[in-house]
Amino acid sequence: MEPKTTIYTRPLARLIEQLQRLPGIGPKSAQRLALHLLKQSEEDVQALAQALIDAKHQVGYCSVCFHLSAEPVCEICSAPSRDQYTICVVADSRDVIALEKTREYRGQYHVLGGLISPMDGIGPEQLALKPLVQRVSQPGVKEVILAISPSVEGETTTLYVGHLLQPFTRVTRIAFGLPMGGDLEYADEVTLARALEGRRELGA
Amino acid sequence: MFLRTLHLQQFRNYAQQTVDFCAPKTILLGENAQGKTNILEAVELMATLGSHRTTRDRELVNTAATLAHVEAQVQRENGPLELGLVLRSNGRRTVSLNREVLRRHLDFLGSLNLVQFSSLDLELVRGGPERRRSWLDRLLTQLEPLYAHILGEYSRVLRQRNALLRSPNGPDPLQLAIWNEQLAALGTRVIRRRQRALDRLAPLANTWHQQLSFGQESLRVVYAPNTGLGLGEAAEIEAAFQSRLQERSSAELYQGTTLVGPHRDEVELILNQTSARQYGSQGQQRTAVIAIKLAELQLIAQVVGETPLLLLDDVLAELDVRRQQQLLESLGGSYQTLITSTHLGAFAQEWLTCAQVLIVKAGQIVPG
Repeated sequence: MEPKTTIYTRPLARLIEQLQRLPGIGPKSAQRLALHLLKQSEEDVQALAQALIDAKHQVGYCSVCFHLSAEPVCEICSAPSRDQYTICVVADSRDVIALEKTREYRGQYHVLGGLISPMDGIGPEQLALKPLVQRVSQPGVKEVILAISPSVEGETTTLYVGHLLQPFTRVTRIAFGLPMGGDLEYADEVTLARALEGRRELGA
Repeated sequence: MFLRTLHLQQFRNYAQQTVDFCAPKTILLGENAQGKTNILEAVELMATLGSHRTTRDRELVNTAATLAHVEAQVQRENGPLELGLVLRSNGRRTVSLNREVLRRHLDFLGSLNLVQFSSLDLELVRGGPERRRSWLDRLLTQLEPLYAHILGEYSRVLRQRNALLRSPNGPDPLQLAIWNEQLAALGTRVIRRRQRALDRLAPLANTWHQQLSFGQESLRVVYAPNTGLGLGEAAEIEAAFQSRLQERSSAELYQGTTLVGPHRDEVELILNQTSARQYGSQGQQRTAVIAIKLAELQLIAQVVGETPLLLLDDVLAELDVRRQQQLLESLGGSYQTLITSTHLGAFAQEWLTCAQVLIVKAGQIVPG
């Protein structure tokens, strides 16, 4: 780490160090970004800095579904056109964004904020489970869809949440199977087995 | 299959080295700590993406570099394959097949098959059960690459469950029940595959052992699953697993670790009705190991449809001349063989016919 202080002048070294702490940014990218920023006009850099601070100050969690939101209740939860009685449970806000991009789903969400993982000290208490049970126990909820990745931890979380919610309403989980455009013969046994498990009537 | 060339870059003590294999047998000759075993380790990585010497990629990368390359050209019946592996000291890996980067490492496995026989394998009979489990796991990974994935998920569930058992206020019963369900389901898949592999290997090993002992002895290789049941329908095995978990639940809570499952399996080796581990003489134990290795070669050839490589790491010198000759005759020249040794005088002269000798010295290879 010695050379950094000698190669870069101090404020530049600090900037590079900060950028390098971002996910997916290595030393080379950090240097490129830093040098690029220095070439920008003062207003542009100011705007970027302000955007960072505003986002940090203003974005919190929706009090209903725990998705990222600048309002106390997020746009999805407050949209009158959306189905109020179907709730899709996901691990992370990123999953909400991915599902929203499909434009296929018109119900509500609930973001757990992680997966059960005893190794990392994450148990059910660390996830937004109590508010979920409260939501689902309200009359009228028709279905809860569990959309959680099929990892070892995802499977445990799915089974756990399913167990908690089944007394109140219908609980389903998304199907796992072959990617579109994927060839059957190239699919591995795990994927094929899951795809078989999740099969359904033709034309249904 | 035939390994044609191996190219190493910043791998262990090799800065840059290409090795051309041009004979059925290749003898890597050199003093200790010159890099003979590193060559075999690179070949092992191409076959299993693992090394029996380390689990840390940092150790595989030359201390002067952050990146190591291992490339191999393998002649298969259906044509040549180019295998590539990039190792980084931070542990990230890139694998490629025919110059195409593979997203899933699972798809890389099975391109090259081999059987390893090192002086450590002589401990296969005498050593602890974990040695036999890791031997079986490495064999299974080659027979059915998906096994590596199943075993990986099983060990992840195992670690999670152990962490839960150690939680300060005791495990949440619902969560424990769910982890039990996953442990039993994945464990059952491990158990059934282990049973299936050993059922196929055992008769081959027995035939070889009888032949090597001139009909004097029989060898039984018996799978002894920790949960008690290896044969039968998946549902039965899973039920046996679950009931063992119930029986041992207070002991598990007390010890804070999972006591039930295939991570505690045993493979019993029985010579003429008695335990080879406890009662076998050193000579009998060595014959048994050779028989098992020959059975492995044969089983891989049967399942894969092509003959695997045989890697003999420093082991010939440990066998007496009679056993060396028996091994050579049994191989019958069918398998490409890579051999490491400190000196040629250590083994029977017949090994030198049809052999290419390479001298290994301080991370460089020169023709002998």
